[in-house]
Amino acid sequence: MATVPKVDVGSDYKEKYGFFVPEDYIFKAKRGLNPEIVKEISWMKKEPEWMLKLRLRSLEIFRKKPMPTWGADLSVIDFENIFYYLKASDKQSTSWEDLPPDIKKTYDRLGVPEAERKFLAGVSAQYESEVVYHSLHEELSKKGVIFTDTDSALRDHPELFKEYFGTVIPPADNKFAALNTAVWSGGSFIYVPKGVRVDIPLQAYFRINAENMGQFERTLIICDEGSFVHYIEGCTAPIYTTDSLHSAVVEIIVKKNARCRYTTIQNWSTNVFNLVTKRALAYQDATMEWVDGNLGSQITMKYPSVYLMEPGAKGDVLSVAFAGKGQHQDAGGKMIHVAPNTTSTITSKSISKGGGRTSYRGHIKMYPGANNSKSFVKCDALLLDDASRSDTYPYNDVDAENVTLGHEATVSKVSDEQLFYLMSRGITRSEAETMIVNGFIEPFTKELPLEYAVELNRLIQLEMEGSVG
Amino acid sequence: MVFTEAPLEDLIFRGEPDWLRDRRRTALDTFDRLPMPSKTDEEWRRTDVSGFDPAAFARFEKALAHTTRGTNLPEGVILQSLPVAAKEHQALIEPRLFSLLHPNRDRFTALHSAFFTGGVFLYVPDGVTIEEPITGQHFSHENGTSVLPHTLIIAGRNSRFNYLDEYIAEGDDEPGYRTGSAEIFLGEGAEVGYVALQKWGRNAWHFGDQRARLEKDSKLKLFSVTLGGRFSKTRVEASLVGQGSEAELKAIYFASGEQFFDFHTLQDHQVGNTRSDLLFKGALQDTARTVYAGLIRIEKGAARSDAYQANRNLVLSDHAKATSIPMLEIDNNDVRCTHGATVGPVDPQHLFYLRSRGIPEQTAKRMIVQGFFGDVLDRIPFEHARNLIEADLESRLG
Repeated sequence: MATVPKVDVGSDYKEKYGFFVPEDYIFKAKRGLNPEIVKEISWMKKEPEWMLKLRLRSLEIFRKKPMPTWGADLSVIDFENIFYYLKASDKQSTSWEDLPPDIKKTYDRLGVPEAERKFLAGVSAQYESEVVYHSLHEELSKKGVIFTDTDSALRDHPELFKEYFGTVIPPADNKFAALNTAVWSGGSFIYVPKGVRVDIPLQAYFRINAENMGQFERTLIICDEGSFVHYIEGCTAPIYTTDSLHSAVVEIIVKKNARCRYTTIQNWSTNVFNLVTKRALAYQDATMEWVDGNLGSQITMKYPSVYLMEPGAKGDVLSVAFAGKGQHQDAGGKMIHVAPNTTSTITSKSISKGGGRTSYRGHIKMYPGANNSKSFVKCDALLLDDASRSDTYPYNDVDAENVTLGHEATVSKVSDEQLFYLMSRGITRSEAETMIVNGFIEPFTKELPLEYAVELNRLIQLEMEGSVG
Repeated sequence: MVFTEAPLEDLIFRGEPDWLRDRRRTALDTFDRLPMPSKTDEEWRRTDVSGFDPAAFARFEKALAHTTRGTNLPEGVILQSLPVAAKEHQALIEPRLFSLLHPNRDRFTALHSAFFTGGVFLYVPDGVTIEEPITGQHFSHENGTSVLPHTLIIAGRNSRFNYLDEYIAEGDDEPGYRTGSAEIFLGEGAEVGYVALQKWGRNAWHFGDQRARLEKDSKLKLFSVTLGGRFSKTRVEASLVGQGSEAELKAIYFASGEQFFDFHTLQDHQVGNTRSDLLFKGALQDTARTVYAGLIRIEKGAARSDAYQANRNLVLSDHAKATSIPMLEIDNNDVRCTHGATVGPVDPQHLFYLRSRGIPEQTAKRMIVQGFFGDVLDRIPFEHARNLIEADLESRLG
């Protein structure tokens, strides 16, 4: 067995991931949230009138909606003390060489260029609120695939943009979707034309890098009939002393016979509030797959959902949550069956350690008419010590005919028998526990591209080494 | 509102001790103070009580609403009507009555606590074993009345016995307001079998709470059956407060016509080395609807606890609807918790198999339902109750 270099999480993390370069912004909006700030953001971006109106209307909705009373405690968020827009450089870079040195330094540490050299088709890496580095493989544009940042898409593809933006998650959907629609900036826009298969995963790195800075990216993916795309979103963030808020909205439309996979590895630093709305519409015989890993943040509330709109649609959520000290991962998935003969599965794996709390929260809804549909939910939780906590809140509503619905969940600790077996083979306790945890989340890691799977195993290793001893 | 002080003075206070009168008054105040549950309350989101107005049923039945039967009771055993016992055995009852079933819980528990009409008190002293099951029968005879019985059971240390609460409507289509609640206290090492069989009329509104508290090494086998009521909300809750205690909570329900059943369960593991095993099985036909919401809570420090929770729904018609919400809150790692829920129709292969043997579809379906309930019926803690339940189920399956 290969030996793994020891990394002391507590002290080294700051050097490894938790650096931050001095702030040097071209434009920095004032703190706080009011119509003037929203107008300023829209003006800076030279947006069309309809977007400004939508932003202002969303701000109104945000003001009116109450904070959610369920899930994690969000009362500590101070919306008036957040920067809603930052722009790190004034023009989009087209090649790596043109990037400002500060930003390059950040990406060097994240390994973006190496990743690109390996197999990236296009990188749309977000530094703060604006996409600054962006490249698109020639082959993709030849096929007619659009992969750009959302701001450019609004400028360059106005018809396509207007047709779909806000149709999956309207501003009034929930308080944080309203906030995002009011102040959104950056994110990815993908359009895959009919019958086109994008064989290489498209990826984007996200970072937050200013104290108290909000990140409100907006992603919109449209898979036209018979197409396929795999989008990967991953993030690491520097450590700060005050709380920051990340509130993204991801909208996906999967048309007839198309398939979309959306993979997330979320590793925000443990002071970030990560409140994200992700939803996909799956049409006839389409498949939508969410692969969702939550390792970082102080609080995550995120329930990727699939609305199964037409017969034969299929939805999948594969979710992994890891909560360490002071963390609360409130994650899960939602499957809304609207049409007959639709199927869905949710698999959730959660690990709590050092006083962390993981909650699975899910909803299976079968509307009248969604007859002959099937849904299966499986949740497994692993508690690594007696200070940690795990909850399961599955809501199963069946209003359709002849449907089959199943839910199973288990909560346990690391099995003494497994530990004993491994230790009797000369493996130390902490190594054995790490192996068991990695085995526990294997159904998740095996769905990831190799590079990410290695990174995830490594992250779990770091988290585990921090505690056991 | 006709549920006021006047009927309290008039009907119920006759002969009741002052402490109980005060308690009823306090509960009435609570009832007046609490709002009607609305769809924004998590527990009531899927349960619509807006059509229920207790004032429509603010009349109590004149005839005796309950009888109790226990033969050859050993010395020291007390089996009495609860209001009578409240006077004669204040020391036993005052500290316990409505301590598990708190009137503050919601408007309906408050109303039940203020106006409970009769019911049963059973006290079994330390070390006493009763072989024959004891039964309490609660009747409703009239239309449009309130029948609100309450059962209080105290099981002394190492006592052993079985008890059955049977809720019986004289006419099957009686509208009315009905409750049937029980508080069960298990002393150290006690072993209690408790069965509740709810057969109120098809037009009744039923609210029942069955709550148990288990001391060290005690064992409870609870079996709850719901058949009656246009609306029935039943809460089954066990608090495991002593090491080594075990609660087995089983239930069956059969909903047909336009019946709506709601079940709420709690397995509250407050200390370690405790076990709970819950299985709720229901069959639905016609346009019936059911909601199951259950929670396993393992408190911090409740190590080496073992909890199981399952809800299985067999949907026999295209228009019946079942909702199932099995929840876990686990605050300790050294535990084993598993839960599961299923909602599904009759397996067409099973049906096909039976029909290929020449069995008519109706009969085949009935056999499948009987088979579905079979494993849980075997868990009914005593013969007498099992015979009763099987007969009732048989007659309803038709």
